[in-house]
Amino acid sequence: MTRIAACDCGKLRAVCEGEPVRVSVCHCLECQKRTGSVFGVSARYPKDKVRAEGPSRRYSRVADSGFKVTFDFCPTCGTTVHWHLDQFPDVTAVAVGAFADRDFPAPAFSVSERRRHSWVAVAGDAVQHKE
Amino acid sequence: MTARTATCACGRLRVACEGEPARVSVCHCHACQRRTGSVFGVAARYPREKVAIEGEATEYVRIGDEGNEVRFRFCPTCGSTVCWEMPAFNDGIAVAVGGFADPGYTPHPVRSIYDASRRHAWVDIKVPVERRG
Ligand SMILES: [Zn+2]
Ligand SMILES: [Zn+2]
Ligand SMILES: [Zn+2]
Ligand SMILES: [Zn+2]
Repeated sequence: MTRIAACDCGKLRAVCEGEPVRVSVCHCLECQKRTGSVFGVSARYPKDKVRAEGPSRRYSRVADSGFKVTFDFCPTCGTTVHWHLDQFPDVTAVAVGAFADRDFPAPAFSVSERRRHSWVAVAGDAVQHKE
Repeated sequence: MTARTATCACGRLRVACEGEPARVSVCHCHACQRRTGSVFGVAARYPREKVAIEGEATEYVRIGDEGNEVRFRFCPTCGSTVCWEMPAFNDGIAVAVGGFADPGYTPHPVRSIYDASRRHAWVDIKVPVERRG
């Protein structure tokens, strides 16, 4: 199956082959600021299954883990579509919202829950919740 | 009076807000999903005169479903959209709640828009909200 994640204006896309290896929600403050929402949602794919198309600008920061994360966002509309983690060099993380598809596989992990806004939760019997 | 500042991920774009927002709402529409990369957006709407924008911003204008213009401001360094306006509605300025980086932010949302049609089923909104569309 091929799915395409795209920024709001459509210029930056990530074409993703097959199924994600991990879908997770992160409530950390960095994900809150980056998304402007109250959590981020990412789908990790093997790097060779994701093809980026269109111009992007890069923003890097050092994560709590001490490893660098490099985000690719659209210079026209600001949407971050995908990013790379130095900690997992064979992986591309894709922003789940950019698929604009409510049938996208649900998250199996909900992390940094100590930062979760109390009014929203990640539902699902199989979801692993981490502080 | 409460004073809170929403910022982008890198901290260069800051939106200082005084007092309480008129309302907070969640929107599950496809545009909010794409723009945030999360599966919904969360907006706190403040009176325009209670908001001060500091730092460099890039403007992105989108024409919404009903033909109305929405003007977003994002940080050119990190991409975070921190606030936006819909000039036609003269309805204040919407600030991205995530930008406050405060899990204790109140008030909580009172509306969930595109809830029936676009909400990912695993998103569990635990407070009473007016659910639309
Ligand atoms: Zn774009
Ligand atoms: Zn995070
Ligand atoms: Zn920034
Ligand atoms: Zn929306």
